[in-house]
Amino acid sequence: MNKAAFYDLDGTLLSCNLVTMHAYYARNDRSILKSVYQFTKVLLSVPLYFGLDLYSRSLFNIFSFRAYRGMHRDRLIGLSDDLFEVTLKPSIFPQAEALIRTTRELGYRNVLVTGTLDFQVRPIALHFGIDEVICNRLEFRNHIATGRVLPPLIAENEKAHRIREYAAEEDIDLGQSCAFSDSSADVPMLSAVGHPVATNPTRRLRHVALEMNWPILELRESSSKFPPFLSVAKVH
Amino acid sequence: MKSRTTWRWNPVRGEYEKGAPPPLEGTGEISAIDAFTNKRMLLLGGTGFVGKVLLAMVLDRFPELKHIVVQVRRKKNVSGQQRFDSEVLHSASLRPIVQQIGEMAVREKVLVVEGDVGQPLCGISSDHLELLKGKVDVVVNLAGVVDFDPPVNESFEPNVYGTLHIIELVKLLNARLVHVSTAYVAGKKNGRISEDIPIEGYFPRRGERDDEHFSVAEELKWYEQFVKETRDSRATNPRPIRDRLREGGLRRADYWGWTNTYTYTKSMGEQLIAATPGLTYAIVRPAIVESSLHFPFPGWNEGFTTSAPLVLMGGEGVKGWPVRNGPLEIIPVDLVTAGILIVTAAVLCEKHNRVYHLASADENPIMLPRLVAFLGMNARYKHKRKKSGNRLANIWKAYVETQVITVESLQARRSRLHRGLDVMHAVLTLGKTLFGAKRVGPYLKSLRDTRRQIRAQEVTLDKFLPFMFHNSFIFETRNIRQAASMLTNEDLKRLRWDPEWIDWADYWVNIHTKGIEKWIRPVFTASRKTGT
Repeated sequence: MNKAAFYDLDGTLLSCNLVTMHAYYARNDRSILKSVYQFTKVLLSVPLYFGLDLYSRSLFNIFSFRAYRGMHRDRLIGLSDDLFEVTLKPSIFPQAEALIRTTRELGYRNVLVTGTLDFQVRPIALHFGIDEVICNRLEFRNHIATGRVLPPLIAENEKAHRIREYAAEEDIDLGQSCAFSDSSADVPMLSAVGHPVATNPTRRLRHVALEMNWPILELRESSSKFPPFLSVAKVH
Repeated sequence: MKSRTTWRWNPVRGEYEKGAPPPLEGTGEISAIDAFTNKRMLLLGGTGFVGKVLLAMVLDRFPELKHIVVQVRRKKNVSGQQRFDSEVLHSASLRPIVQQIGEMAVREKVLVVEGDVGQPLCGISSDHLELLKGKVDVVVNLAGVVDFDPPVNESFEPNVYGTLHIIELVKLLNARLVHVSTAYVAGKKNGRISEDIPIEGYFPRRGERDDEHFSVAEELKWYEQFVKETRDSRATNPRPIRDRLREGGLRRADYWGWTNTYTYTKSMGEQLIAATPGLTYAIVRPAIVESSLHFPFPGWNEGFTTSAPLVLMGGEGVKGWPVRNGPLEIIPVDLVTAGILIVTAAVLCEKHNRVYHLASADENPIMLPRLVAFLGMNARYKHKRKKSGNRLANIWKAYVETQVITVESLQARRSRLHRGLDVMHAVLTLGKTLFGAKRVGPYLKSLRDTRRQIRAQEVTLDKFLPFMFHNSFIFETRNIRQAASMLTNEDLKRLRWDPEWIDWADYWVNIHTKGIEKWIRPVFTASRKTGT
């Protein structure tokens, strides 16, 4: 049987989140005036986003995707490389690449399981050399985003469900597999594998990790040690 | 990177749909595998962009084919075999296949013969002709000059006389012919272009000039006389002969309604084939051939003959694009080669039509204003992180969006720009007198370089205007879809004709533009430095 390493993205491998990604598109609208207007809207929504994220990750996702309503898919795809270079790449945690390299060398199949949108994930996955991606997609009508996300929304329990489905299809032994996330919203995903790792955990997840005796990993700190089951990590 | 999703993009409807694409099913009236088994194919023009991908695809998909004979022209001291080794066998397009099946296996399968389509019987030696007589089943002709406006003789020789030599050869070998032309032989037309328009005697202005008749024989007479007169007038006319031959070709093409010398001469090549009695043939007419979608790998491209100049110009920050709200008929090279192989199978089974358009807009059009927006986004990406050049100019190129404009507006912009450059030139020349050549000279040189670049961009853009602004084509592709539907299910695993599934945004941004930046820009930059 095969084994896999499942990674969350925002907050786990990089410090960006859905709001900063949308803020990029707002800043890069077709004219300076439109950019100012859109960016102001994003700024004003920040407190709401913050509150929603505390309450429910799914609701936070749904609300943040609504901001893409009316945008042309060509623009979302056409600017994705620039988004990566400007916003995402600088926010990659120092140890993230070493971690992904390590799991690859140990024979894990690297899989991103994230609520981020497909066109945003693509350059990141290519940068990390990730094998497979499970992510969200926006709904479009005649190439224009409706602001809704295509079901099922990849978040919370759905991530665990998709991991199990993936494991069944690809002959993956979940007991031998590992998962990395920063958020308590991903506890179901972390619980689905044999080696869950609380990665740059939020306070809530840190609490859960200590209770469940899960290893805690800080990718923000270059001196942080990888958990013992990734023993090759010491080489790097 | 693989995306696990239950949704697929429907590019025509512009929305995601649930589920996997329906499996392709053929009627099985033609079996490409059976058609190619133990057959021999002679490939003319195998060193070109399409030729190499076709050769790679045949080697990869049809091991059943007995031999592929590739005709290669000698270049001065470089023999055909040497050119094949360096330009084809070790090219990026064949490398994955050579690695996969081994160089020895390729050499066993491919026989290289030296020749030149400009010569009778394509310049193939009598020894080789004896060897090939009766043993070649099909000749696939990709040879020809694809420059839009070369001196008329450089287009006539390969595209018209060359076709005559190919016909001679095909008849001698008792083979069938698949002739690759261009969809743009339609000329200055608008709207849907049918595959059923009669080939012989065709000229695009036929509707406007009912009293005139087009004849290739008459055109050959005109050509001989025009070239002779132009050369004879060397003493009395100081203008370079090449320029006058170029202009003469363009004028003649325009008179009959073709967009340039290339489409004019290609149409004549087709007419010669159609007029040959007893010839089993099919004419394949691809639209604008672009970077590969999948095979031999995504983004493979070569040469400046497709939309590469436009993408490169877009990357350099050109903002105003004169396009109409119509489709640009582009088609990835691997779909073109798959199409050629489907047609070849149909010809071998004698279940073919005369003409096959290989194009995309019939089912899945990519509209020109969308492409203009992509050019702008690519410029934004490039100029944001450009370290060289003027900083203010880079900011302007990065943040000012591309615009769709009219030709009139383009002309007005050009004249304003040139007036501005004239003023700058006058000021700098005055400065040179006042402050000396040492201080002002570099600025003058820089201005001259900029002017040269702008002029080159203008010339390139003008060449593409017939395809972007003056005319709007949709080439009907009924025949290739019909031929693909006649294949067996096993064939369809090897050859697909499915432009309706091209996700143009993904293709243009992630495949085509990156392919051009990787494969074309270095050659373009090097050639600009050397002035070639």
